[in-house]
Amino acid sequence: MDASPDKIAREKSKALGKPIWPKIPADFVRAMLAGHSALGLAFAALIYLVCFSGSVAVFTQEFSRWEQPQGPVLQGVSPQAVDVAVQGALAKIPQAHDLLVRLPTPDHPRLSIHGDDAAGGEHTYVADHAGRLVGEARTPWTEFQAELHTVLHLPRAWGGFVVGLTGVALLSSLISGVLSHPRVFKDAFAFRWGGSKRLQEADLHNRISVWGLPFHLVVSLTGAFLGLTTIIVGVLALATFKGDASKAYALFQGPTVKDDPRPAAKVIDVRSGLGSVAARYPDARATYIYVEHPGERGQHAIINLATDGRLSRGETVVVDGAGQILGEVGYESGSLGFRVLSAMTPLHFGWFGGWPVKVAYFLLGLGLTAVTSSGVAIWLARRRDKGRPAPGLERLWVAFVWSQPVAYAFSNFVSLFSPTPTPVATWGLATLTACLAAVFGAPAAVSIALRRICAGLLALIAVAHGALYGSHMADPAGWAVDCALLAAALILALTTRATRPQTVSR
Amino acid sequence: MSALWALALAPLPLTGAVLLKRAWDDPGPQRPWLILGGWSLLILALAASVPLMGPLRGPCAILAVGSTAVLAFVAAGIERRNARKKAARELAPEPSDRRRVAWRGWLRGFLAGPLAGVAALGCGLAVAICAPGQIQTRMVIGGLIVPFLWAGGMAWTLSDDKILRAFAVLASVATLTLGAAFLKGAL
Repeated sequence: MDASPDKIAREKSKALGKPIWPKIPADFVRAMLAGHSALGLAFAALIYLVCFSGSVAVFTQEFSRWEQPQGPVLQGVSPQAVDVAVQGALAKIPQAHDLLVRLPTPDHPRLSIHGDDAAGGEHTYVADHAGRLVGEARTPWTEFQAELHTVLHLPRAWGGFVVGLTGVALLSSLISGVLSHPRVFKDAFAFRWGGSKRLQEADLHNRISVWGLPFHLVVSLTGAFLGLTTIIVGVLALATFKGDASKAYALFQGPTVKDDPRPAAKVIDVRSGLGSVAARYPDARATYIYVEHPGERGQHAIINLATDGRLSRGETVVVDGAGQILGEVGYESGSLGFRVLSAMTPLHFGWFGGWPVKVAYFLLGLGLTAVTSSGVAIWLARRRDKGRPAPGLERLWVAFVWSQPVAYAFSNFVSLFSPTPTPVATWGLATLTACLAAVFGAPAAVSIALRRICAGLLALIAVAHGALYGSHMADPAGWAVDCALLAAALILALTTRATRPQTVSR
Repeated sequence: MSALWALALAPLPLTGAVLLKRAWDDPGPQRPWLILGGWSLLILALAASVPLMGPLRGPCAILAVGSTAVLAFVAAGIERRNARKKAARELAPEPSDRRRVAWRGWLRGFLAGPLAGVAALGCGLAVAICAPGQIQTRMVIGGLIVPFLWAGGMAWTLSDDKILRAFAVLASVATLTLGAAFLKGAL
């Protein structure tokens, strides 16, 4: 073996001959790189936060089950039981404006009813197979992590816009990234470690980017669309409906029922509504029901139906107070626009292909967070190479990157024990504290310390959860998540020991 | 069971990647066949997923699971770089070194953010209002092109050294599309 890797590379490139990829002018690449760099830096923290929270949000249903593992776990439920559960919820919340009834699905095998009371308080009741309400669900951490991804815990309109704008910035980075790395596809398999920090990070950045590109494009485009819906519909309404956005939304709501607040002779019959729907859509499965204005003459229900094998949020059917079908929205039977809209949410969150796709989305999502993190690391390393190091920023970025797993774990740990959990506050506190660690150590030391703290917290959560619920853990998802948390803790701890990969010589 | 088809089909893109890696490693006479075989397996996986998992669901699931499997394969082939030798790749392209002028930075930010956003919104509105077809389809397609055009405009304005050119194009597009949309003014 007398040939050096560089010599081999030169000989190989000669043997390969002329590349089929058109040569991109150097000036164009340099200009694109400048734009890619500026955009990445401007949005780095937001993109990182949205990508990390999105990776976790893939498992929203599993975390919800993990937070209430005592069940009851239901594979299916009769229409009569659903009706009993709705009547039970209305007895507890007599002034409910509407109720959201979630029916058991393979992802979330629970029957639950959510509603607001007259004072604005929110309640979610869990029912058994007969529809009897057996308790109130508490999933504060699941709700916290989902809202962090969708609206960053800002007011809904603003939060959605910021997340949507972050999606646009990510999409823009993907476009400029592909155009500014002429060798990104040519070097698709070159994954090297060691040597210069900048090249090491560049290999990581480029390999994850190129192989995850279909996923990155899909999640950034759908995420931007979902986040910007409010502003797009608002402007559309301004141009066409004199600013009345509800008229624009009404185009996607199917048959409407006139509001009539006078008391009805009989409260809505959910059982016959489900029966009518089952007769007309024999291949579909009801997944949730919105019961609107129960007890009023204008009462009606919106029933969502999922059909196996479709990439869709499901068809939506409207039934009146007597359970008669008024019509469907057309998410699966309507025009191209309905079907594209219907595919957005499952496509964005990976909720369409069972657990293999969820795991893939989680790993690819973490890959995107690594791409964001390495992008900033490349810029910092380039500055250092050019004799303009920014040690403070280097420490702060490393601390921020690892602050999120730590803050997520800490807020989860506190939620597990607190009777009145405030996950947003604990997450914010942990993020700030972790970022303060940047003041005290070198980047490598900060990274290792935060990873170890996170590993310890994850292991503690798994053990504590097992101890708290072990004797009455009806849902296997509880154990599965505990095992996954322990595995994540172990992997994180191992990364603090083995900082270099095994040598593979060529 | 249908969810597991994605896992069952994952070996196809993985084998395709192995063939492409062999083609990439060794520029021998069989290289074209390896490339052809690699791409054929990737396409076969996508095609096979359609009858097994659904026309849109299948390819999307295979793209996600297949990408993960191939990334794991690429990561498994990680190679230690010789730290003492300066590799040829060290001559990586550098970003263009622009003169740092505050007003240019602010103007570039304005172009990439609000102005590109307004131009993209104008295009989306024009499609939603003026294009033929069903109302809901026009609205969704119009809405979907907004983030894509905004992202493209952002990438372009942040890269183009000629700020005034970007400003002129974006302002013209915004004026024309918004003008057309508000003039027509009804769906």
